[in-house]
Amino acid sequence: MSRVIDVPEEMDHRGFEELLVDLDRAFEDEPSRVLLNARHVRWVSPYGLIGLLAVGRVIRDRTGHPAAIEAPENRDVRSYAEFMGFWQAASGIFDVPPADPRTHGPHDALLEITPIRSHRDVHTVVERVRERAAAILEKKLHYPKPSVIQFSVMLSEVCQNIIEHSDADGWVCAQTYDYKRRLGREVLMLAVMDVGVGFQGSLAAEHARRYGESWSPATALEAALLHGESRFRDPGRGQGLQAIRRQVVKWDGELAIRSGNAQIAIVPEWDDLPPLQRNLPPFPGAQILIVMPAREEGGAR
Amino acid sequence: MTPLPPARPSVAVASLYQTYLVTRHTGRAVRLTIERMVEERPGPSLTVLDFSEVAVIDFSCADEVVARLLHDAHAAHDAAAPHYFVLDGIEEEHMDPVASALARRGLAMAARTSARRSVLLGRAEPEARTVWDALAERGRARAHELAGCLGGDESACREWLTRLDERRLIRDAGDEFESLFVILGADERGEPA
Repeated sequence: MSRVIDVPEEMDHRGFEELLVDLDRAFEDEPSRVLLNARHVRWVSPYGLIGLLAVGRVIRDRTGHPAAIEAPENRDVRSYAEFMGFWQAASGIFDVPPADPRTHGPHDALLEITPIRSHRDVHTVVERVRERAAAILEKKLHYPKPSVIQFSVMLSEVCQNIIEHSDADGWVCAQTYDYKRRLGREVLMLAVMDVGVGFQGSLAAEHARRYGESWSPATALEAALLHGESRFRDPGRGQGLQAIRRQVVKWDGELAIRSGNAQIAIVPEWDDLPPLQRNLPPFPGAQILIVMPAREEGGAR
Repeated sequence: MTPLPPARPSVAVASLYQTYLVTRHTGRAVRLTIERMVEERPGPSLTVLDFSEVAVIDFSCADEVVARLLHDAHAAHDAAAPHYFVLDGIEEEHMDPVASALARRGLAMAARTSARRSVLLGRAEPEARTVWDALAERGRARAHELAGCLGGDESACREWLTRLDERRLIRDAGDEFESLFVILGADERGEPA
């Protein structure tokens, strides 16, 4: 049996949740083939783009066949997906022909979709973004100079989370855009995802017994983000996410981590994401969203 | 007969080999190289972790390169041949990962910034920090000479100096205490150990 799943018109972190609801329903029928219909997508964020890859990977793992995908009709979305390297990353995940190497010139993407498979990829990512991060954070978002290093550290830690805790490959990408509707300012959005064991699976051996029956994806997320707990007993472990949380708060940014059927978020005043959500559609691995808003020019922050 | 003052530690500078000190994997490799370098030097030693070429250091790498290095050195402590460590050339932007990594393990390390400001990174009691700062400023001193920083309490000052010496954050040179940067300075001037 085949199933068609429509991709939401606005494919951001909220659209991703809508897509997972439909994916969950579609899996109830145990389809052998799935088509993702992205023709009507009018807008896609970095989180939405790699969210599509994650969904594609899960469909491939569940059905044994790569999903088909209908490309967006909207020219801007198509060109954005192309310059972020979506089609190259999609090869092997979706039933699409291998994409040609990107031929476009320079653009303002901070980081195109980049697979994270090993510590070498983390090095590559950190080294690659340095110059672009300096240009974007200082000139476009008006962050002070040290923020370039702080952003690189955050990027490194969030990517290592995939390697150290997911037991699976993942992706990262980052882009600035005008977040007019919600904030009236430009933002930098950083998205990192994997479809591995997730926080509950990663922390279970060390912490599940202590939590007893309350152990769940939500408690695992709280343990990691709020209490700095790690799957290792070593006290030096588990500080990466804590550091990211501190930095995001300092920048008045937003951090959301989804894993299993839960999402935990550090929410600034300018947004209304719930700080903790349970009973979301289940999805493997971890999906991390970081939003850094532009500072007011000449502002005190 | 007056006991001989303890031998001045030999100084070696450890390059960190990387501009981008990121990932635990990289940190582990760097730490093992430094540990080998320390093991190869018998007797008291001072190892300088040279941060002058480092562009980025993340929390995981800081834990491996700095905090675990110090933790393991303390665990293998040999009173007859103590190993001291200092960070040199560290930028303000790199201090948070290093200080956090040290603090999580209850450790501290002496550091000198690229602007040659001495700073104690990691976990230390406020009194220990005060005494450490006072000694760093003077270079060498006896307990009574630093007592002013603790409201004139010489015995408290001596106790904190002893504790700092036990944590290898300063050195008891016999008749006085000395900042680790005094040893480093003497080595830079080519004075024999």
